[in-house]
Amino acid sequence: MKIYNSYILIVAVLLLLTTVILVATGQNSLDIYYTAYVIEALIVTELYVYFNAKARRGLNLVSTILFGGFLVIVSLQVIKILA
Amino acid sequence: MLKRNLYTWAGLGLLIAGSLVSLSAYFIFLLTWLTALGISMLILSVILLVLGRTIPKLSPEVSGLLLETGIDNIATIIEELGIRAKAIYLPSSLTSGRPRALIPLHSNPSSSLLTKALPQRLIVQYGASPDDIGLLVTTTGTTAIGMLESRPGSTPEELESSLTSLFTGMLGVADGAKVVYHENRIRVEIRNPRIENKATWSHQCLGGPLASMVASVAAEAWDRPVTIKQEEQHGGKCSIELEVLV
Repeated sequence: MKIYNSYILIVAVLLLLTTVILVATGQNSLDIYYTAYVIEALIVTELYVYFNAKARRGLNLVSTILFGGFLVIVSLQVIKILA
Repeated sequence: MLKRNLYTWAGLGLLIAGSLVSLSAYFIFLLTWLTALGISMLILSVILLVLGRTIPKLSPEVSGLLLETGIDNIATIIEELGIRAKAIYLPSSLTSGRPRALIPLHSNPSSSLLTKALPQRLIVQYGASPDDIGLLVTTTGTTAIGMLESRPGSTPEELESSLTSLFTGMLGVADGAKVVYHENRIRVEIRNPRIENKATWSHQCLGGPLASMVASVAAEAWDRPVTIKQEEQHGGKCSIELEVLV
């Protein structure tokens, strides 16, 4: 499936580029890395509107899990600020 | 259950590698960037595993075999009957079921004859005259349209979206489609088609597999009978011209 290959390739390249850029800028927080990954994965998934229904359902599940992780990070930061 | 294909194997490989890299980087080497790289591998592995589950069990070779067998059978019937008329792709509202193609045995009927739903039979009478007899056949478009999530709308943009979704997202037979509508003529350009058209008698009557799918989807979208006027394939582009019968 050509559309699968292009999607995976774009996500992989974006994640790798993000890692390189964040390392180059001296980022040392795992939260920032993860947040950037999640945002990129969600945007690319939304841009691929022509996936079949089964693939879309599966990717929606992945997006939900990734977003759940993002919410956990945000909650921990809020708790840290309030404490 | 996991389906064994390249996506699944790649996903499993990245899952193991990503777990090892992220855990060792976080707990042993204390390197944030390496931990992040491991996490990105894990994200990619989950995506690969999910996509691996959606790959059809049948290989493209088996699918091609089934498609060719079906087309060959219809081609034999058409050639034996010596039919030269162009097929008319009918929407589901005129076939009392799924959209199909009507092949007139004598000459192309005027669309005014096609007002009521035809019975679900192979040989059908579509008009009052004894000569108004044709074959109502299932085409690749009939099956393909069932894969669409919703009925396509009757605007060029909606048809373009449905065709791109079908060709790129579901079947993987082309890179996209562009639709232009002008005075009951629909011109569809398909980018990088991966199905070749054969110059056989049945193809001249029914059109190639891609044209058949385009005609079926267009007939369903406009809810009108549609015929294939022209079909060309050259330079990584397939141009199909349809006429909406009014």
